[in-house]
Amino acid sequence: MNTSMIRIAQLSFGSSGIIAKCSPVLASQIHTSAPLCRVVSGKYRITKKRDRPLTYEMANPPHYIAHRKSWNSWNTSSLKDGLRRSETVLEDEFIRRFMTGTWHGLVCSEVIIKRQFNHIRVAAIIRRAVSPTKMYFLLGYTEELLSNWIQCPVTLELQTVDSFKDVVFKYI
Amino acid sequence: MSLFIRNYKLNSLAAGYNAKLWRLNSTTADSALKKNDEDEEEFRVLDILKKKDRIQRRIIRRTDMQPDRADRMAPNQNWGNVWPGPKTFHPSSVPLPLRQGYVPKGQAPPGKKANAELMKIPNFLHLTPPVIKSQCEAIKQYCTEWPSLLNSEEAIEKHYPVEIITSDYCHASPSIRNPLARIVTLRIKLSSLNLDKHSKDKFIRLVGDRYDKETDLVTITADRCPARAQNLDYVNYLLTACYHEAWNIEEWEKDKTEDDMEYYDWNNNASKKSLVNWHLRTKNELRTLTDEEYKSFDISVIEGGEEYKNAVSSLMNDGESDATLKKYGEAVRKVLGLPEKKVM
Repeated sequence: MNTSMIRIAQLSFGSSGIIAKCSPVLASQIHTSAPLCRVVSGKYRITKKRDRPLTYEMANPPHYIAHRKSWNSWNTSSLKDGLRRSETVLEDEFIRRFMTGTWHGLVCSEVIIKRQFNHIRVAAIIRRAVSPTKMYFLLGYTEELLSNWIQCPVTLELQTVDSFKDVVFKYI
Repeated sequence: MSLFIRNYKLNSLAAGYNAKLWRLNSTTADSALKKNDEDEEEFRVLDILKKKDRIQRRIIRRTDMQPDRADRMAPNQNWGNVWPGPKTFHPSSVPLPLRQGYVPKGQAPPGKKANAELMKIPNFLHLTPPVIKSQCEAIKQYCTEWPSLLNSEEAIEKHYPVEIITSDYCHASPSIRNPLARIVTLRIKLSSLNLDKHSKDKFIRLVGDRYDKETDLVTITADRCPARAQNLDYVNYLLTACYHEAWNIEEWEKDKTEDDMEYYDWNNNASKKSLVNWHLRTKNELRTLTDEEYKSFDISVIEGGEEYKNAVSSLMNDGESDATLKKYGEAVRKVLGLPEKKVM
């Protein structure tokens, strides 16, 4: 029913482009793309050889948040009537991108951001692929730059593992 | 005896089957069996791929990695020094066999190492009971003693009748301001205010639905000013203004009629007039009285008059119910000198 309706709409608009040209408002209000009713975000497909490594976070799809896994951002903005919601989300996204870029190829888990008052705690699991000296440098560098940009004390609380295999929960 | 034989036979059969099965399945087991029998006649095998050497690979240990701190901890250490403040969970400094994660039945949940779930949840490892105790001891010197006279709720209520309620908000953001913190609520028991009959009535009419009849509390909330101090001033002003206005008697207040009364006063009503008239008529002393005389007529001279007054007042004030109606009936019978109602 749904798809046939859309096809009719597509046909009518496709054959006579005049309507679309004359009334862009009308044209923009009708969705002509096929609806994707299946939720696929945050879910992973099973491979033929069953060799795709998944961490615990990846193994549990998003609807298990608060049941089998918890949130990656902890703050009071996401609560009801929380203050500065958009700012917090933007800052968190920026921190995530900065972390994965600065610790390039080293971050083995999601970047966990917890906020207490104006203090931001960033936690992650890092691969021991670079020397401790470099790691200490990156740690100070990240903390310093982030706290300068966000104007808050930022603390990095890292855990290290030997290889990515240590965080693998299962293979699918 | 027969039983023993059967057992013996079975065993031997089973052993035979076992040996056969092994031989069919694996050649290595077969050769091992042979080895025991004829060890010296075996040729040496040329190991071209050098499998034996390959197995003995040296395990590379990293020298720059320290062993876990948790493994070297003494059981009688001071935990508060290991974990002094709030911190994300770190497996090498927590000597507990923790596990977290959902797994299918029969499997063990993921351990504490490389477990992001344990890092996500806020922990209270810095707030163990001994640490809380020591911190309380440390801040005790800044505390003052509780006033001994304010030893009960009643005493506090008596000395501090005005209650100010405000909320402080604590949230994870760089700003400490919250617009909801400006709201100030003032609460006071109406009985703690110095009001007479008229001013109390007027005060209740002034505050309207801010007065709760059941708890006798007047609640005034202000949120119209941007700062808390301003709202606090405002609620205090409102209370003061209402109080003084309640004591004022305006000219038009004298026009209050019986319809405006907030409760039923028997002395001012027709019920008393008819009772007094009936009483005078029974005494053959009927005369015309003024309103003031009716109001001030002493009903204690009438037998059952006081009871009748109470019954009518409760019937009008508390509403009709089985109890008030029964009481009213009894009072009427008493006044009229009728016998009591017989309960069948």
